[in-house]
Amino acid sequence: MEDELASLVVIFTEFYYWITIPLMFLIHVGFCMYEVGASRYKYHTHTLMKNTMLIPLVTITFFFFGWWIYFAFVNGPWIIGPLVDAPHATPWSEMMGTHMGNAVQQDGLTVADHGWWSRINGVFWAAFLLFSWTAASIVSGSVIERIRPSAFWILAILIGSVTWIIDAAWGWSWNGWMVQKLGYHDAYASGVIHAIAGGFALGILMVLGPRIGKFTADGTPRNINPHNPWLVTIGLFLIYTGFWGFYVACNIPIIDVYGGLMLDVEGKSFFSATNIYLQPTTLSAITLNFLMSLSGGLLVAYMVSKGDPFWTYSGGLAGVIAASAGNDLYHPIQAMLLGGCGAFVAYKMHYWVENRFKIDDAVGAVAVHGYAGFFGVVVAGFMLWGYPSSPFEGYATISPWGQFIGAVIMFFVLGLIPAWIVAKILHGMGVLRIPREIELVGLDINHESQRSTDADEVAQAIRDEAG
Amino acid sequence: MSTGLVDNWLNVDTFGAIYPFVGTEGFLAIVGIALWIGWHIWQIKAESTEFQQDLDNIRKQGGPGAVLDEEVSRETKDVVGR
Repeated sequence: MEDELASLVVIFTEFYYWITIPLMFLIHVGFCMYEVGASRYKYHTHTLMKNTMLIPLVTITFFFFGWWIYFAFVNGPWIIGPLVDAPHATPWSEMMGTHMGNAVQQDGLTVADHGWWSRINGVFWAAFLLFSWTAASIVSGSVIERIRPSAFWILAILIGSVTWIIDAAWGWSWNGWMVQKLGYHDAYASGVIHAIAGGFALGILMVLGPRIGKFTADGTPRNINPHNPWLVTIGLFLIYTGFWGFYVACNIPIIDVYGGLMLDVEGKSFFSATNIYLQPTTLSAITLNFLMSLSGGLLVAYMVSKGDPFWTYSGGLAGVIAASAGNDLYHPIQAMLLGGCGAFVAYKMHYWVENRFKIDDAVGAVAVHGYAGFFGVVVAGFMLWGYPSSPFEGYATISPWGQFIGAVIMFFVLGLIPAWIVAKILHGMGVLRIPREIELVGLDINHESQRSTDADEVAQAIRDEAG
Repeated sequence: MSTGLVDNWLNVDTFGAIYPFVGTEGFLAIVGIALWIGWHIWQIKAESTEFQQDLDNIRKQGGPGAVLDEEVSRETKDVVGR
């Protein structure tokens, strides 16, 4: 790179995305703490490992095919057009390794591609990857204490490296077919991460069934309380913290909106941050709206749950999720009100579904992410009705029906249905759920027995030494 | 002998990929994917073995009820802490 200003823009963008990655790492730390806190002590080791090992599995599969899907599937494919070439995103691309941006070595890549992608590809890939972990991790909590880790990891790869990234290609890219044809708008991922993950979790839970002892013989649910509520709340606090990185990663930090790469208006320049649809927004806007929607969620969740810490914290999260689809454009007080509504919807829906359908969602993930996310996508259709969904001409405008169809695609088509089908297959093969006897005595029985034996031996040795 | 295309840093403006063995990316992708699938096969077998051992132990001790009773009695006696 020879031009100082252009280099500064590229390297600033590279650094910007890099900063979001360790911040989003905290989401995963939070989910792990949350799950361990929510599980009973005889399941801790497997619960922790189940969530931890999705990190390498989703990472390598996202390298092998997830990243390519994002660019290749924007047209469906074959919904509005064919597969799109994405030579910088294949696992054999030079652009997926250390590269100085010159010397074209592969077909399909220009020198201009090299200049940009050699610097941005890795950090942009990682920012999307951390979203993938989040999607899989949301599912992880709801199925604790009875799913086989091997089955969960297959399902984690399905959502983390396949279905969520298909929905991102369709509805969370500047040229996705849902944006073009439905006017779909979901700036901070109410649908593309949360609704799909909630729907996906529900699809598994429908096949997996409840934990032993969750329901009485007449179907009345019992409370299986978190083993350590304080670890749960710290976990949720960490998820809030990581959410800052998540929000910032949804933006592109600096673009000349009138420039040649975008609207190409001669003689004019307007440098701004944009959302993923390349519509101008500001970090200030999303900071205001993030905090106000979080606050709305916390206030209402505290009220409806009568001060229950688990639901108050979860309600804060549901508040942010419910406003996220339009948090690039909402007024902060609108974000607060929608956040409150999202928390209310999540809380009420969780208990209604639990009672009516006997679904045992151990951490309320389907409610907090799925129902609040679905609500957030749909309500954005009313709030932003008539706004252009893109700066580019010929795209549909934002509408309630476009958003409703979008929410159905996220929650059901790419969430619940694929999860249900794969869970059914795994169930049919007898590898979805842990054996009943092991579930009764605790999944960590081996580890616990060994720890016990070790401790007894040490205690005996000390006693012998004491004489 | 050199594993990469970099001979010196004076002409960095002409460099493309600078990792070693440029041109082997396709092969590396095949190796990576094979290792990923192999890991799943190994893990599923290991998990089945672990569960089978757990089930054998539980049955040897008289079933899940007996294991839970033993656990309660162990906690009551507090063998470790005494």
